[in-house]
Amino acid sequence: MAYIRKDVSTLTGAERRRFVNALLAIKKRGEYDEFVRMHIDHYVSDGDGGLRSAHMAPSFLPWHRRFLLDLEAALRRVDPAVTVPYWDWTRDRATTAAPWTKDLLGGNGRRSDHQVTTGPFAYATGNWTIKENVTDGEFLTRDLGRAGDPIDLPARSDVETALRDPVYDVSPWDSTVDRGFRNRLEGWGSGSGSAAWRNHNRVHRWVGGVMLGGASVNDPVFWLHHAFVDLLWTRWQSRHREHRYLPAEPPGPGSRQYRRVVARHEKLPPWNVTPDQLEDASRIYRYA
Amino acid sequence: MAVSVEGVPVSAVPAATARSAPARRTRRRDLLRGLLGASAALAIAPVVAASRPPGPADAGPAGSSFDETYRGRHIRGALTSSGPAAATGGEWKVTVDGRPLHLMRRADGTWLSMVDHYRSYATPLEAVRAAVDGLGPGERLREDGPAHHHTHMGGHHGLHP
Repeated sequence: MAYIRKDVSTLTGAERRRFVNALLAIKKRGEYDEFVRMHIDHYVSDGDGGLRSAHMAPSFLPWHRRFLLDLEAALRRVDPAVTVPYWDWTRDRATTAAPWTKDLLGGNGRRSDHQVTTGPFAYATGNWTIKENVTDGEFLTRDLGRAGDPIDLPARSDVETALRDPVYDVSPWDSTVDRGFRNRLEGWGSGSGSAAWRNHNRVHRWVGGVMLGGASVNDPVFWLHHAFVDLLWTRWQSRHREHRYLPAEPPGPGSRQYRRVVARHEKLPPWNVTPDQLEDASRIYRYA
Repeated sequence: MAVSVEGVPVSAVPAATARSAPARRTRRRDLLRGLLGASAALAIAPVVAASRPPGPADAGPAGSSFDETYRGRHIRGALTSSGPAAATGGEWKVTVDGRPLHLMRRADGTWLSMVDHYRSYATPLEAVRAAVDGLGPGERLREDGPAHHHTHMGGHHGLHP
């Protein structure tokens, strides 16, 4: 029986409390920090060598789908009623509404040092000291909307542009492609203006603080953001039923992408699972 | 040299691009010695600019090294031929206030850092300045280097050694 992932703005008080408590429980036992570490370790950029499984690659979507499932399994070992809610940033765009409330993720960082001082993940609670980080910062930071150089959340039309593209991804399967659903959603552009950074990438930048960097998983909003990105993948799939994950076959030895991307039936590191096996998760969870 | 970046005073040691090749090489060695210590510098052969593949990053004003104070932070960087990225045109060794900052390269030749990870910049210098912009007051990079242990080799990532 599939469980339901809900819109975070619709959670009851009890659902909010149980989700937060499950996060705090896995943080306390060190499990949460392993997720932070894993995300840092799997960020391989496409201008450097090596296999890209998590970013700048077709498997951006299945990698994060499995990553969410692992986190969700950890939460459900604490409390079997918990599922990861999603944050629809095309609708919930205020810095004071869900998910930025005191009973959920807490609010914006304070002006002086961007430290989050409200809600269950505030440093002063003693429950959310950051261990795995790019910097020596031990407290959660946010700079919602980036006060010093403001940007907006992605517009609904940005999401629509991605959803309309019938092709999952195109060669060379990296951050430079300007077609294909995957990179339109992941959001790598070119040029220097902030308009070049779309959808998924743009939300990371809008939240700011730790969400700006490689240790973005330290902000629990990471999961709510990626649950919505994952939901958008299911929407794309239902719009383009004849289209599948690409590439279907691995690039050959003559290709610059040889052994650098994960094809449909290849194992997706670090798991023993293929993108093909992750394309349909509807027997595990559904979105409300 | 004193320039202003978005109203923030910046004092910069000029990049070595205008110097002759031997002078540039010496300068880079000095910089590397400062960055990495003498023994590390000896092991690193300077990369001649012409040996690098052309790309937007190479056209940047930073040339092959920089050393400046930006928003009160001492940022230094130098291109080396060591490291896993050597095959793709050399690796930048960068520090902010003496602590290492890992730079990554995008396939379009632009750069991003571990601090500012969801967009890229035309030059390493721009990427490092953006990383400084992303640091809070008093916040420093980790002393032991960026929390980034992957091998660049693909497949093996040593998650739990």
